[in-house]
Amino acid sequence: MITKLQNARIYDPINRINGKIRDLYIKNNKIIDKPGRGEKISKVINLKNKIIMAGGIDIHSHIAGGKVNLARLLLPEEHRKYLYSSSDKLRSGSGLGTCSSFHIGYKYAKLGYTAVFEPATLPSNARSTIIEMSDIPFIDKGTYTVLSNDDFLLKLIQKKSNQKKINDYVAWILQSTKGLGIKIVNPGGINAFKFNQRELDLDEKNRKYDITPRSILKVLTKSLIDLKAPHPIHVHGCNLGVPGNVKTTVKQINAVEGQPMHLTHIQYHSYDNKGDRNFSSGANLLAEKINKNKNITCDVGQIMFGQTVTVSADTMSQYRNHHFAHPKKWICADIECEAGCGIVPFEYQDKNFVNSLQWAIGLELFLLIKDPWRIYLTTDHPNGAAFTAYPKLIKLLMDSSFRNREFEKINKHAQKNSVLGSLKREYSLYDIAILTRAGPAKVLGLNNTGHLGCGAKANIAVYNENEDKEEMFEKPYMVFKDGEIIVKNGKIQKVFNGKFYIAETEYDKNIEKEISSYFEKYIGRKMENFKIQNQELWDYGIETENIKCNRNDY
Amino acid sequence: MKNINFTCPFCSLLCDDIKLEVKNNNLKPLNFKCPILVNSLKRKINEQFSRINGKKTGISQAIEALSVLIKKSKSTLFAGMGTDIKGTKATLEIVDKYKCIIDHFSGDNYVKNIKSIQELGGFFLTLSELKNRADTIIIFQSSSDTVPRLFEKYIFPKETINNLKKRKVVFIGSKVPQFLYKNKKLINFEYIKLDSINLLNFISNIRNSINSEISEIKDKKLLNLLKLLKKTKYGSILWSISELQNNISDVIVNEITLLIQDLNKFTRFSGLSLEGSDHILTVNEVLLWQTGFPIRTSFASGFPVHDINQFSTKKLLDNKEIDLAIWINSFNEKKIIINKKIKNVLIGIPTHPQKKDADIFIPVGTPGLDHKSHLLRIDKVVSVPLKKIRNISLPSVDLVLNKVKERIFNDN
Repeated sequence: MITKLQNARIYDPINRINGKIRDLYIKNNKIIDKPGRGEKISKVINLKNKIIMAGGIDIHSHIAGGKVNLARLLLPEEHRKYLYSSSDKLRSGSGLGTCSSFHIGYKYAKLGYTAVFEPATLPSNARSTIIEMSDIPFIDKGTYTVLSNDDFLLKLIQKKSNQKKINDYVAWILQSTKGLGIKIVNPGGINAFKFNQRELDLDEKNRKYDITPRSILKVLTKSLIDLKAPHPIHVHGCNLGVPGNVKTTVKQINAVEGQPMHLTHIQYHSYDNKGDRNFSSGANLLAEKINKNKNITCDVGQIMFGQTVTVSADTMSQYRNHHFAHPKKWICADIECEAGCGIVPFEYQDKNFVNSLQWAIGLELFLLIKDPWRIYLTTDHPNGAAFTAYPKLIKLLMDSSFRNREFEKINKHAQKNSVLGSLKREYSLYDIAILTRAGPAKVLGLNNTGHLGCGAKANIAVYNENEDKEEMFEKPYMVFKDGEIIVKNGKIQKVFNGKFYIAETEYDKNIEKEISSYFEKYIGRKMENFKIQNQELWDYGIETENIKCNRNDY
Repeated sequence: MKNINFTCPFCSLLCDDIKLEVKNNNLKPLNFKCPILVNSLKRKINEQFSRINGKKTGISQAIEALSVLIKKSKSTLFAGMGTDIKGTKATLEIVDKYKCIIDHFSGDNYVKNIKSIQELGGFFLTLSELKNRADTIIIFQSSSDTVPRLFEKYIFPKETINNLKKRKVVFIGSKVPQFLYKNKKLINFEYIKLDSINLLNFISNIRNSINSEISEIKDKKLLNLLKLLKKTKYGSILWSISELQNNISDVIVNEITLLIQDLNKFTRFSGLSLEGSDHILTVNEVLLWQTGFPIRTSFASGFPVHDINQFSTKKLLDNKEIDLAIWINSFNEKKIIINKKIKNVLIGIPTHPQKKDADIFIPVGTPGLDHKSHLLRIDKVVSVPLKKIRNISLPSVDLVLNKVKERIFNDN
């Protein structure tokens, strides 16, 4: 069956189409160039005065896993504020920042997003995280498995194991936990916190293993390059939220010596400690560094004002931040000799100096980092705000007069300490399509999504042209997933599940002898039961899509 | 006859180091004598008929009768909920569509943990952290009855990553578990005998002593414990609500949570609740991700409404707020409450002694014996795959409920 979408204005940066009016053809679940001779077009949809982009891709959004469920348990009052009734097609649910699974899918689909990546899956929690994700409809999904604090890896580094052995372990972890990528979280710091170290800078040693975050960062960065993994190392660096941490972030960029690295939620890692309150923006410093270092990609982790909850594997930082909990309750956990988690509810207030400056710093980063192909739009959902804030964030980037009006509402001291008011840059629709589709697809190594070229998945968002960009992005006119209309005028049409992306890699099986003995002796379970089998996923109706580790542009 | 590796589904430790002898569907553990495992495998299945009003019937008739009851019911409770991830998912689909209420066998105790987390949060750990990290373990009135191999596997392991040589165990409560007594010569453990009320006071005193500079502490046991806490590099605290005095157990849990928070100001400490019978943790996790709320949630309004008091099984039965109770238990023969004034359904193992008392009985297999399954361990982090090892044609809970769902959904 062939569907023709005609007369729409198309923004497709991967194929360098910048607002041209063109027709688009969908055959089954893919986009085709045009129908072959004799092929019949069964449906024509006129999209005059509409804008088309590929379905959105969220590179970093905490949508599942033990930490999200703990946050749900911690905050029944937040869930009671947002209740969703069941209907013929849809399940009931609740919550916003830690929205229940079905409604995560409904909400993303309604925003025109068709792929979302859970960025902090602990190895031992991967199986139930993936099963949980099978209850998120529509979107294609994947996970980044957290390494960098597990005792096994730290021992390998301590013993100065060769890079090949580390690569085998990383590949084994990726394969066993069905991850698409590897995430570093506060390298060595979460482990050090288990030994009562409260801070760990890039060149400080973990007391137990006598190794530094720098050494962990270097071997894992190299490992993903050696493995030709689809996505370079995804890094939540040291000292999250600490005033002055921008210096560490810059040092981290130096540490990887030009190799590809993705820095996540950089807003939380861009703080300087100047001024009478010892808290200032480091956005300019970091933006200049990123502008010069073409090997670096990043997402922002913008904060938006209001109540949310922060969830992270970074127990060290979350414990440090628990004093700011609003309401006054929080959870931390030490997990399975791998890492940990921390849940701290948070209210970002526009009258508060620090929160206001955090908001401004995020926007400064968006506007000062020049290359839109290397910066992606995230709120680190739900840490900075729920992903439902994306339309407003897009308006802040596209409309400088709106941004300036919002800037004038924030804390006055923060205004004085930010250059945001002087930044005139406005993102274009083409730029937004890069930030939210093309860029993330490229850095994740996904060739068949994030664009509208021949062979791409027919994941398409159709928007009404509208001067008010918040309104425009809040309610797409139509959303296609795998060629089917899933949303029309804000209403869900049909419910089905997307695919689950997995990096497909190989490793030397000899590594399993050592891992197996480690599991038996210390972890107290069998290695074979740790490894997730494809059949287990298929049993939950999960359709997997394997991405081969053969990236050749590192 | 063959010997196989087996993962045990009968408690929330989910031990996977068991060897079983399998002979004509008879299962015998070879390397461990865990009482829960041994007793669970002893059950002899002589017949596996469905029943309506106590009389034998075919499974399709029983499923048909159950779907009629659900459709007729004005208020249905899914109780017991001894099932796995898939069983919970299948239950929730019906619960959501037919506006039912959901609770669990262990609800009365577990909601005290839930309430404490909802009020204060907590600082937790998983089993391998307990095994490898803790140099001090404080156990507040817990036995190993519900997790028989906890001590052997995680509290006194042979080897640890951190080469812990001097682990100190302090038991504070009224009755020391057998395991500790039996091994008292081998292990470094201390016993502080206290009943629940004195235990509560004792924890408050520890907290006061930590948080304020009390110069003179007369209680020698308290003084020694404080010394130990200050020396501790990484400590763990374990507790079991079901073994504490019922009317103050929630206050004790809150005090434990606050104590752990206090201790983390100067050293590292974390806690683990040993409450997890009949896989309440598995059921609760699925509920949380699918609905946003834990057990004791009603869907009568079309959306989830959670209330730990209002939706307790006992209260709903006592106040006649439901007209249909569907009990699920695929693990054991735990007694269910049959209230003759309402309809009672049991979806349970074929040896359940109350199968003739329920209006409808549908026999199901046990996850990890009769079908593949996934369950969550006591720490809620680790999910364990279980295999089918027996072949006696018993359906799973999700298979039965999916048939019921097809039957009632198709009629609409």
